[in-house]
Amino acid sequence: MLRFVIYRAISAIPVLIVVSLVCFLLMWIVPGDVASEIAGADATPQQIVQIRANLGLDRPLFERAVDWYWNLLHGDLGRSYLLNRNVTDAVMERLPVTLSLAGLALALAIALGILLGVLAAVNHNRFLDQAAMTLALLGLSMPDFWFGLMLIVLFAVQLGWLPTGGFVSPSEDLIGWARSMTLPALTLAFTQMGVIARMTRSSMLDALGQDYVRTAKAKGLSAGQIVFVHALRNALIPIVTVTGVMTGVLIGGAVVVETVYSLPGSGRLIVGAIQRRDYPIIQGGLLLTATIFVFVNIVVDVLYGLLDPRVRHGR
Amino acid sequence: MDADALPSATSVRLRQAGRFMLRLLEHRSFLIGSVLFFAIVACAGLADVLASDDPNRNDYAAILAGPSAEHRFGADAFGRDILSRVLYGARASLRIGVFVVLGTGVAGVFIGTVAAYVPALDGLFMRTMDGLMAFPGVLLAIALSSALGPSEFNVILALTVAFMPRTARIVRASVLVVKELPFVESAVAIGAGHARIILRYILANSLSPLIVQLTFVFAVTVLAEAILSYIGVGPPPPAPSLGNIIAEGRNYIREAPWIAFFPGVVIAATVLGLNLMGDGLRDVIDPRLRKLREAG
Amino acid sequence: MRICQRSVLFRRIALAVALGAATALASPASAQKAGGDVVFAQSSNPPSLDGMVTSSQASRNITMNMYETLFGFDENIRPMPILAESVEISPDGLTYRIPLRKGVKFHNGKEMTAKDVKASLERYRKHGATAGLLNPVTSIDITGDYEVTFRFAKPTPTFIEAFASPRAPAVIIPEEETGKDPGKINFIGTGPYKFVEYVPDSHVKLAKFADYAQDNRYKGPDGFGGKKTAYFDTITFRVMPETGARTAALEAGEIQINEQIPIPTARRLKGDPKFAIYENKTWGFLTFIINLKQAPGDNPKFREAVQVALKMEPIVGIATEGLFSLNHGWQYPGTTYDAGDIGKQWYNLGDAARAKALLAEAGYKGEPFSILTDSNIPEHNKSAVVIAEQLKAAGINAVINQVDWPTALKIRLQDTGWNGWTLVMGIEPYLGPVGVVATLVGNTAHFRQPDPQLDALYEELISGKTVEARQETFRKIQARLYELRGIIKIGDVGIAQAARSNVKGFTPFRFPRLYNVWFE
Repeated sequence: MLRFVIYRAISAIPVLIVVSLVCFLLMWIVPGDVASEIAGADATPQQIVQIRANLGLDRPLFERAVDWYWNLLHGDLGRSYLLNRNVTDAVMERLPVTLSLAGLALALAIALGILLGVLAAVNHNRFLDQAAMTLALLGLSMPDFWFGLMLIVLFAVQLGWLPTGGFVSPSEDLIGWARSMTLPALTLAFTQMGVIARMTRSSMLDALGQDYVRTAKAKGLSAGQIVFVHALRNALIPIVTVTGVMTGVLIGGAVVVETVYSLPGSGRLIVGAIQRRDYPIIQGGLLLTATIFVFVNIVVDVLYGLLDPRVRHGR
Repeated sequence: MDADALPSATSVRLRQAGRFMLRLLEHRSFLIGSVLFFAIVACAGLADVLASDDPNRNDYAAILAGPSAEHRFGADAFGRDILSRVLYGARASLRIGVFVVLGTGVAGVFIGTVAAYVPALDGLFMRTMDGLMAFPGVLLAIALSSALGPSEFNVILALTVAFMPRTARIVRASVLVVKELPFVESAVAIGAGHARIILRYILANSLSPLIVQLTFVFAVTVLAEAILSYIGVGPPPPAPSLGNIIAEGRNYIREAPWIAFFPGVVIAATVLGLNLMGDGLRDVIDPRLRKLREAG
Repeated sequence: MRICQRSVLFRRIALAVALGAATALASPASAQKAGGDVVFAQSSNPPSLDGMVTSSQASRNITMNMYETLFGFDENIRPMPILAESVEISPDGLTYRIPLRKGVKFHNGKEMTAKDVKASLERYRKHGATAGLLNPVTSIDITGDYEVTFRFAKPTPTFIEAFASPRAPAVIIPEEETGKDPGKINFIGTGPYKFVEYVPDSHVKLAKFADYAQDNRYKGPDGFGGKKTAYFDTITFRVMPETGARTAALEAGEIQINEQIPIPTARRLKGDPKFAIYENKTWGFLTFIINLKQAPGDNPKFREAVQVALKMEPIVGIATEGLFSLNHGWQYPGTTYDAGDIGKQWYNLGDAARAKALLAEAGYKGEPFSILTDSNIPEHNKSAVVIAEQLKAAGINAVINQVDWPTALKIRLQDTGWNGWTLVMGIEPYLGPVGVVATLVGNTAHFRQPDPQLDALYEELISGKTVEARQETFRKIQARLYELRGIIKIGDVGIAQAARSNVKGFTPFRFPRLYNVWFE
């Protein structure tokens, strides 16, 4: 097992090299620059030249790239042009928002998804199956920002139950935090819930068709025992693998949801930086996000290896 | 078909294809999905006939007008006819979808096959794909689209780069399986060329998972286009796409909900149709599920 | 103001003080209640809270509640002293003696002295976003604990007016901060609110500054200065990019003031007693700029066709969602420099047939006409869409190039790669004729190709000795702009702001003045 973990960790290194290259190349193709943003709409070209010089943006790209990699090797992602702080601090400060949003959404999506999936599988080809699968598909088929706006109009404006947006730190006010995260997490979860529900349903149907379930049925085990003890346990394995992929989807989706609900997350930080040409944040933010994603996938692989011994021996 | 040395194989293949189609058409959700999807395709294709107005014509008098006989889906903040914009917008969104599917398919098949077939390149190709997949797809697409500048072509390029790695991985996995199958080995034994082996034997037999995957790529592309438009890096105005109609209508969601409502419904219907089709394809291709359905 | 005679200028400033006192925003003597946290929502992050280094509105919204300048504009856009006591100009116009107000405290508790002022202004020369303002000043000398003296190489009658500009305010900060790079200072000013925290993409928090030195020469706030009283304990500027979310937050009562709301929303909320809608109809000029160096825009006949083809009402009407005025002039109607009907015969024509004839005359062969615009500012991209449609109707092959704002700002500085550019001039028309024309002259003219006639008229304008002379010059400028057609006036743009009705004392201005505002 340890060998497998080490193998997975080492195999992440080339991936991270590719990731850093992509981050660097992005900076190279992004047009426009941060100086115009800082100077404002009515700045003169001279002011922009001045600001560029102040920021060291007039240096050759190659020189800046060498600098960036050198600092990266020392664990320094540089300093944001616009936020007056280190990239690492800026991203790390935002990361909890995104991760808690993604985590909550993941938990909600898994809970709701398994519920729907089991309901559908147990009532295979009956009305409940169709209703559950239609709901799951609707989630998958709706643009999430649109769904988020509808939730705001309904729950925040019409009913006034929940805030329209903004973030409350859990260390300040736990209930406020839960309230501020409910709608965003629900929005994000609704799209992913469908994936889990469909997956659960098909693995459950798969498992229900397997010999051992038939055996269990023949042995006279109750329907509930069959579903939850045998079929569902089996169905969990693919769900574990999909959480790895889903983390990426959720972090990507968080960008949109963070914008709709004005949450100060890392996704919005990066998109804002892209729009304002804050290169250090773009590079550092993407690099850190991708690194986290790679790490999550290693954990998922290891978990999967634990659940299904064939995987680690197969390598 | 092609002039093959094994005519019986061709007829077997034809018969198989026929049976496959039949099973697909018996599959209810595939049927519903394809009716839904192709209805939308037909409407988009017939936009020139169905649209009541030029989708870009501004009508100052009709700004934010609600649905009426003149503007059946209402009008937007420019007084443009939403029905016409949705029809042409669906065309643009579908066009983007088709090109992303083509791009993803071609790039994915090329990279996946080469990686699986040429062990020396496997590591380089797949680590690159892993590296691209390490970025959340939407975020990568936003970054690329924003970097390249807004145009329909750049949206297609960005989404292709974002979705291609997973397709390549799927193709590689199924090629690896097919490569080891006896009939491929026998083809190698009778001295068939690499190109022929890859095209005739390996790809033809790895097609099913690819088709399923590409159906879902199509669905995700339609959604991703909307997200890119929402962030402001989608296809540029004034030409409509389903995504940018919603993005432009989101500020009026209270005062003129019809702007965002109708394209939203069309997106949901398109994606729903594609997902149902993909499900149907997967069900029919996956033998165990098929058995189960036949039993129950 | 232009006459460099000590007595006249001094009188002018003194007048501003007196008038300020008279026209100070009358606030009811009763009812003001201290306390509370007011939340003001705006659409974008401030690029910097280092007040002098940026000219962005998102920053000004916040920094003008934190920092103060020596001079600023009063309610009627005339210069007034704020941190300065007055200004005394030598008869030769080469020496400005500026006594400072005493007892003004920085947020760090230190008293402001001439040292801080000199150091701040020297920093402004280096890092100020409009550092050029100080170019005429050869030296800034400390001539007393509470007095600085500016020295000039040649008389510059328009100096104080330019220096008072709020575009990139020359704010006064403590001396020890002045050695730091842009954006790296501690945000310390002399204003009624002090900096607490900035969480980018979330909020900026300011708190009431207990030791704020009120300017008792005035009765109440006046323009950028006057007697300011902070009633709120804290003010929070929340960054909410999503217009719909901003509106929803206002309706839910989570925010009290919304920087800008769509006009249809304003109309919906108008009847509701829970909200107060503030319309400002003279927020800016919507303009369409043509690149004179790039074909086909380099051909005057072609530009004439563009002018004739455009119907302004739908353009500005759609761009502003209905809050606009049709105005062909390059000053707001009824203001001092309003040039009357000059050019009106060219405005709002929308004559496609005549445009087609002009295009034929120009020898136009359907070359693409690329309209640059950005995705960030709705007035820009909406007007671009309508303009493109109208030009197409007249037979011009108009295409829209919509990029993001930083990219647009970069492209428009090039001689090629764009033909037209939509721009709302916000602060320039507010600053008066010089503000508008300054962007159209010299090598940095918006339309790329400087026009010698216009350049000469600009020189005439800034050296004009009397108001009448400058009015006459400005009439010539407006006539010249309608001949040149490098920039086409589309209309006057208004904005609507909204607040919860329990917010009292708020009046819309170039930035949200959150002092002398309180909760009912």
